Amino acid sequence: MKKHLSLIISSLLVLVLVVMALFAPWLAPHDPYTTDIANKLQGFSMQYPLGTDHLGRCVLSRLLYGTRTSLLLASGVLFITLIISIIVGCLAGYIGGLVDLVLMRICDVLLSIPDFIFALVIVGALGGGIKNMFVAISFVSWVGFARIIRNMVRSLKESTYVQYARLTGVPKRKIIRRHILPFVFPQIFLLKLIGLGSTILLISELSFLGLGVTAPMAEWGMMINDSKTYLMSEPTLMFIPGIMISLTVLIFNWFGDALRTAMDAKI
Amino acid sequence: MLVACGNSDDKTKKDKAKGENEHVLTISWPKDIGEVNPHLYAPNEMFAQAMIYDPLVRYGNDGQIEPGLATAWEMSQDGKSYIFTLRDNVLYSDGSQLTADNVKRNIETVVENIAPHSWLEVVAVIDRVEVLDKLKLQIHLKEPYYPFLQELTLIRPLRMLGDSGFPASGTTKDGIEKAVGTGPWILTDYKQDNFAEFSRNEHYWGEKPKLEKVIVKIIPDSQARMMALEKGDIDLIFGSGQLAPEELRVLEKNPQYQTLISEPSSTRILSFNSDYGVTQDKDVRLALQYAFDRQTIIEHVLNGIEQEAKSLFAPGFPYSDIPFESYSYDLEKAQQLLDKAGWIFEEGAPFRSKDGQALTITIPYNSNDQVHKSIFEYLQGAWRELGVDVKLIGEEDQLFRTRSKTGEFNVIMNDTWGAPYDPHMYLRMMTGEKQIGHYALKGTAHSEQLAANIAKVIRSTDESERQSLYETILQTIHEEAIFMPLSYRTNYLVANQRLANLSFSMQQFEVPLNQYEVK
Amino acid sequence: MFAFFVKRLVSMLLALFGITIIAFGLIRFIPVDPVEAYFTINQIPATEEAMTSMREDMGLDQPLGTQYIVWLSHALQLDFGTSFVSKKAVATELFQRFETTFLLAVTALVIIIVSSLTIGIWSASKNSGWLDWLTRTAIFTIASMPSFWLAFLFIYTVALKWGVLPLMGWGSFAHVILPSITLALGFIPYYIRLIRSSMREEMKKPHVLFARARGVKETVILRTHIFKGILPQLITSLAMTCGGLLGGAAIIENVFAISGVGHFIVEAMLARDYAVLQAFIVIIGGLYIIVNFIADILCAVIDPRVRLKGGAL
Repeated sequence: MKKHLSLIISSLLVLVLVVMALFAPWLAPHDPYTTDIANKLQGFSMQYPLGTDHLGRCVLSRLLYGTRTSLLLASGVLFITLIISIIVGCLAGYIGGLVDLVLMRICDVLLSIPDFIFALVIVGALGGGIKNMFVAISFVSWVGFARIIRNMVRSLKESTYVQYARLTGVPKRKIIRRHILPFVFPQIFLLKLIGLGSTILLISELSFLGLGVTAPMAEWGMMINDSKTYLMSEPTLMFIPGIMISLTVLIFNWFGDALRTAMDAKI
Repeated sequence: MLVACGNSDDKTKKDKAKGENEHVLTISWPKDIGEVNPHLYAPNEMFAQAMIYDPLVRYGNDGQIEPGLATAWEMSQDGKSYIFTLRDNVLYSDGSQLTADNVKRNIETVVENIAPHSWLEVVAVIDRVEVLDKLKLQIHLKEPYYPFLQELTLIRPLRMLGDSGFPASGTTKDGIEKAVGTGPWILTDYKQDNFAEFSRNEHYWGEKPKLEKVIVKIIPDSQARMMALEKGDIDLIFGSGQLAPEELRVLEKNPQYQTLISEPSSTRILSFNSDYGVTQDKDVRLALQYAFDRQTIIEHVLNGIEQEAKSLFAPGFPYSDIPFESYSYDLEKAQQLLDKAGWIFEEGAPFRSKDGQALTITIPYNSNDQVHKSIFEYLQGAWRELGVDVKLIGEEDQLFRTRSKTGEFNVIMNDTWGAPYDPHMYLRMMTGEKQIGHYALKGTAHSEQLAANIAKVIRSTDESERQSLYETILQTIHEEAIFMPLSYRTNYLVANQRLANLSFSMQQFEVPLNQYEVK
Repeated sequence: MFAFFVKRLVSMLLALFGITIIAFGLIRFIPVDPVEAYFTINQIPATEEAMTSMREDMGLDQPLGTQYIVWLSHALQLDFGTSFVSKKAVATELFQRFETTFLLAVTALVIIIVSSLTIGIWSASKNSGWLDWLTRTAIFTIASMPSFWLAFLFIYTVALKWGVLPLMGWGSFAHVILPSITLALGFIPYYIRLIRSSMREEMKKPHVLFARARGVKETVILRTHIFKGILPQLITSLAMTCGGLLGGAAIIENVFAISGVGHFIVEAMLARDYAVLQAFIVIIGGLYIIVNFIADILCAVIDPRVRLKGGAL
């Protein structure tokens, strides 16, 4: 029981975050976009539990909706990169030969541009906005995983299972589906879950620089950017979203870590 | 390696040690000053150009034309030529003397490079320059232009560069050799994006500044500027747009600082694009006018710093006595107008639509301007109530300018420029291609008539004709609901208690450092 | 060794070539027509003939392959065109700011190495206990914090409230401290864990146990056997971190208002200064590839197993 304590607590926390994201419209006391300019930059009160920002918007509500933005985006990225990296990795690993060489070379080149910089450049070329940010982050994220999958597939290919299946003439697709994927999938999914934390960080970093979401969308990185001007008068506006980001990333990292330990223990 | 960087902090420390900081003022500026070419625009910063270079004539505090590099001038009967007598014994910072030949050279290099100046009538209207004597020259115009002298007072492009400042090619259109001017300040040190140092010109022909040195520190971030002021790294933050109204209020309350707000210098006007998207529809424009809550914006977004605009041009400017009707705030009326025009809320939609097209308004703004940003963010929230989807695009300077020229916007900030441009230049811009004013005019009913009236009023030599033409023009602008004046823009500054004699100049982009002194 | 070197060299050259393709290709994806943009910025009326002749001048009417070759030959001479914003040569702009960012990155790297080695080694020797747990949790927490937020926290406390260090900007040694620490903090958690776990693994290896059995002094074991064992991995990671440092610098420079390469890049992105974007990919990507190449060779020199196992993965 004690061994799994980490896992249990962290999964519960993840659940809390997911609930916050899903039920934000019900949990939030106010609409995150409604401005109440006469009440701007207020401190904590009954009406606005975490105060208001420079346009009089409820900080708590924006924080909750920000959870939506971050989690939705991050899971979207996870999903897309999962598909792409599995396809590329399987093709390269299984077919081997020229396909493998070409695909891996491409990965090498793509990997030779540092993550953040590359995302920055893509957003710079396409323009800001949530869609382009999604594209940029996804594009940057799939590469590393593709390589890992490819290695996995290659070693699996040599396993007795697969050798036998190939000898008996089972079509490639079936082999991949029956023998390789079931093994690859959980490992990769786990790795990606662990990476969720850094994806969320990336989203907030890009938004902070003004290259991510656009006003008036609620996103933590952007909230910090907005609060810069008021650092002297209302520092809480800067503290709160930052704490939120840190907590979220912490929870996901912890969760991933605990999950990995648990799975390692099994193996 | 660190010391070799030649940084500004080391400099001020060394100066402080020597006791030389007595008459040194440190000011922050959000952008690098550029190479300070007197004949071009961005990335040259106006305040720096005004410090180094002088015009032929100056804009006096009461709107009168005063002598600058020219001591006397006369206009011909037909208004098509002007003779200027230059001041004698004026030296450039390199020791060379100001002559009519040099002035001719300056004017010609600007006129030759007409491309970036085609919108500026004073350049476009010059036909040729004739040297009459060592200190006398005559400028011939293609047509009479009544604001000619006013526009010669501008900070750019018609100010004088010394001969040694011209590059070998003979033209300044691609840059200058060095910043040689006749002005009260000389650029003595410069590190791009870091700082610039100006020293008093000891051979200045006019009243010398009381300060010995001005150090300009480049601080792009508004919050960083505030902090620098607090730490004593800078003495002065000058210019509206550099501080959010909020920040100004905070500093006002602090006895450590002195704040100053100027007289109204220009008008904040939001301009519609009658030739793009939903704002082609006059009803939409009218509705937005009625949904424009000036009071709230001035009180809460601008923190009461500015006065509500009752006319298109600030009081004190020519022709500003012509009353301009603005639309008063009436949200209900706005809702009704939109309903009647067919812009309705579909089932559960947050925004209105008509024939499948959503009521979307695109508003770009210069992301460096704190005030613009606050105003538009407020509007986005306020107009949401009306069912209008406002898309904000905060862009860097160059990009913003490009967009304003391509016309991809519905609403944009189109402040007037104050002295000496108002009012004629503002209206003149409405007839130029790819100008914000033009996009406002383009899609209106009878736009040709309006354009014709504007063209006439600029050329007119008859005072009463001008008056009635201005009236007609302003009336049309009101009917078509293409401009929304908000408030009279004031300039402001914040300084620590070291400084005295702080003030503003008539030209809002000029920092009158000549007047300032250290206590 | 030679075969290894050649293999790696070929790999590197291919990657460099690939980078140029990406940099060149990226520009084709941009929604703005460079000819139109040029006319608008310079306020020249855009007539059909003017645009066509400009297109010819810019070489945009040539087939893609030719354009690429022209662009590449310029790039190899370090001519990346002019910046849209400042009208100056891109190469000049980049090199001017290079010194600042380099200093920031190197300082951060030194901080990373020193602190992660000390804490990592210390942590590896202690197995459990509450102090160890505390350190691990603290590290974990810091790793979750966004760098720009940490930066603001530091600015608010250290610089503003306590007035100890200068706020922003650049110039004296004091200016370097806060930004480089903040930058380093982004990587230290990773390195501490890396060192800690690699060392633990090394310690279990037979040759270490054997050395202990022989009675070799603990410190010597640490130095020669264990440290040398983790070195290849350390070097590889450090090479990759160089890339991460640059990304981190972009943010740190932004917050601390430091005029370096990172800040310049972000400005260029916001201004859609495409010439700069291109140059950046080539130069940074190229540098990164070369650094990794050197790291690989170093690893091979230190650890014979690397070069015997072969070249590309």
